[in-house]
Amino acid sequence: MNLITPEQSAIQQAAKDFTAQHIIPKARAYDVSGEFHAVLLEEAKPSRIFGMAIPQSYGGLAYSPLTQALVLEEWGYGCCAMATTLAASVLSMESVMLAGTEAQKQQFYTPMLNGKIGAFCLTEPTAGSDVGGGRTTAVKTSAGYTIHGSKCWITNGGVADVFTVFAKTDPSAGMKGISAFILERGMPGFTVGDDENKLGLRSSNTVFLNLKDVKVPASALLGQEGDGMKIAMQTLDLARPAIAALAIGLAERALALCIAHINARFPAKPFPGQALQFKLADMRIQIEAARQVLHHMLALREAGKPFSQESAMSKTYATDVAMNVAATAMRLMGSAGYISEVGKLMRDVKVMQIYEGTNQIQRLVVARATLARPKTAAPALEKAMAK
Amino acid sequence: MSMSMTENRQAVLARASAFADEFLEPVAADLDSTAKFPQALVMELGRQNLLTLPADSNAGLRAHVEALRIIAQVCPAVASILNHHALAAYAIFKWGSDAQKTAYLPGLATGGTLSTVAMHESGPALGHGPEALVGSLAGGRLTLNGVKSFVRNAGAAHLYVGFASVGPAGAMSVAGFVAASDTPGVSVGPPYLTMGLRGCPVADVTFKNVVLEAGLLGVAADGADMLAELCSVLALGEAAQTTGIGKAAAVHASAAARHRIQFGHPIAELQAVQQLLCEIATDAHLAWLGVLHAAQLADDGWPFGVEAAMVKSFLGRFGQKLLVDAIQVEGGLGICETAPPHFKGTLPLARMFRDIAGTTLCDAPDDFPEGLVAASF
Repeated sequence: MNLITPEQSAIQQAAKDFTAQHIIPKARAYDVSGEFHAVLLEEAKPSRIFGMAIPQSYGGLAYSPLTQALVLEEWGYGCCAMATTLAASVLSMESVMLAGTEAQKQQFYTPMLNGKIGAFCLTEPTAGSDVGGGRTTAVKTSAGYTIHGSKCWITNGGVADVFTVFAKTDPSAGMKGISAFILERGMPGFTVGDDENKLGLRSSNTVFLNLKDVKVPASALLGQEGDGMKIAMQTLDLARPAIAALAIGLAERALALCIAHINARFPAKPFPGQALQFKLADMRIQIEAARQVLHHMLALREAGKPFSQESAMSKTYATDVAMNVAATAMRLMGSAGYISEVGKLMRDVKVMQIYEGTNQIQRLVVARATLARPKTAAPALEKAMAK
Repeated sequence: MSMSMTENRQAVLARASAFADEFLEPVAADLDSTAKFPQALVMELGRQNLLTLPADSNAGLRAHVEALRIIAQVCPAVASILNHHALAAYAIFKWGSDAQKTAYLPGLATGGTLSTVAMHESGPALGHGPEALVGSLAGGRLTLNGVKSFVRNAGAAHLYVGFASVGPAGAMSVAGFVAASDTPGVSVGPPYLTMGLRGCPVADVTFKNVVLEAGLLGVAADGADMLAELCSVLALGEAAQTTGIGKAAAVHASAAARHRIQFGHPIAELQAVQQLLCEIATDAHLAWLGVLHAAQLADDGWPFGVEAAMVKSFLGRFGQKLLVDAIQVEGGLGICETAPPHFKGTLPLARMFRDIAGTTLCDAPDDFPEGLVAASF
């Protein structure tokens, strides 16, 4: 298992310090107002943390996937709405990292190294879990492509400068007809709807995007025509662990708040009753297990091994654990919990069981991998039974 | 337990349904966003004879929980106002002096007098925190000093049924009392910002040298038993609300699943979605049977504390899950507090997710219904 290096430990501590100083003090007010936490981008700018996944050759911090997860966990501990801004920006960039040309990488990374952010635009009103159900089209023209349609639930959509947008270049070809494009803020016809008023992650910017005959140059195409679905799925494989990391941070926070409350309420008792002790132990066990599932998945990725199934597992398990831990903390804290930060944690993590692929879609991924018949010859026993 | 409806309960249910449809449905979302105490709705509940069902010998606790469940399907916050009000009425009806009954019950029934119960304190146990409410008894006169915390309906209520620790240190007991909110020395703190049940205010109530000449509830020595019984009645009311919210969530999520087309079919056709919907409906239904059983025991004069504790323990485990799963079925739309421009219709699940957290709470870390159940064996 991963034990972190001194360098990673220092980065983790810096993230803890940033969270304590810039995130935790502001989180509650932004949650109440639901206003986008723009000030965070300014405050994070000196650390260039929004470029943490960008390779060194482009001037980025080139953090390994595990190092990124350590940072995201700390941000998630502070506020998952704010952490989602970071995670979604990194997500938008992963597609470019996977399929972009040198010029496209420059185009996408440069703003992120200068305090700007990106947005990943896949979901449509008719295409949530069913990614192939989208109606946004990209028609080839002599000058490039004309993109027409709409996108919904787009994280960072109203505040990003660069976008990865998925559209059908061949609507008759189903999933194989989807292509990926890079768009920039302010292109004619590319407009932003109102912020959604959400249960959780309230200050994370979530909007509807209208694409009305947006003309993009041929150089906006990521990869080849028809590569869109593959790029989107690979991007999400890379991105899901980020949500797991956020959820683990959130669960740690819920547990910490619960323990602080119990200690304050029973100052004279070193240990509360067993019923409380065992619930707290279960919360700790689940959080630690979720973290290890995530870190194992990241180790597979760093070792160049397949990790798609483990990525789905880590997102599902961590967000389900975080929901359970937050709800348990709320119950144990009683009325005091109902007026505390724990309510925010519960609302935030409910969104996380849904976005970046619902936990039901993740279970399909895991179930299909689990049920997949071996491609090699059947073992002797199965052969015998077949007779 | 008879499952058949008496005429009386049938009439109560009809009134509760009509009230929910006509008066609550149009305002439930607004009430949540403004959190403004709905005085007019309380008066309407009074006109519908729904405010003091547990204190009405022609109705009882079963009628009360049935009405609460129906109201909570539309607006759990108003159900919560009603539940805490009716609980105080129950206490006065059951243990109050003739003078207290004559003075208070008529106003409680119409809504002219709004009441609540003040049970909790911020300390580790009743009488043990720095702000514990302590009373001194001299003859019939009770003098109170201290704070009751997390009092629902605080500020709006005209009447508090509360509990204070009395007697010498080391041999403290609990005494119940009835105090009007305009008694000198009674003050209400600022309302808390709660996650849900918004519109049903919550605040601390401070008692500073409050003198009650004839405010003792029942016999001082019975205070602890009265408090325990009220906790059981409160738990049943909250469980009725929880199962009502769960039922409404199952109905809403099922409709959403029938309308949501993915992969060429309504997602309601998927087994995994059917399983979620089934579990929501089943858990809510089975818990509701437990509530009905306990309420019927109470109405028939049997002990019902253990059955109420079982329901509370069950919903502690499964209550929040009803809405965690209902929202999961509706997906992105489920987490919307207000409908986005591209959607036409109502989206109550986000509000209900916040509300149900409030109806499934333990009131404190030492609130442990499991202990009561285990002790009964």
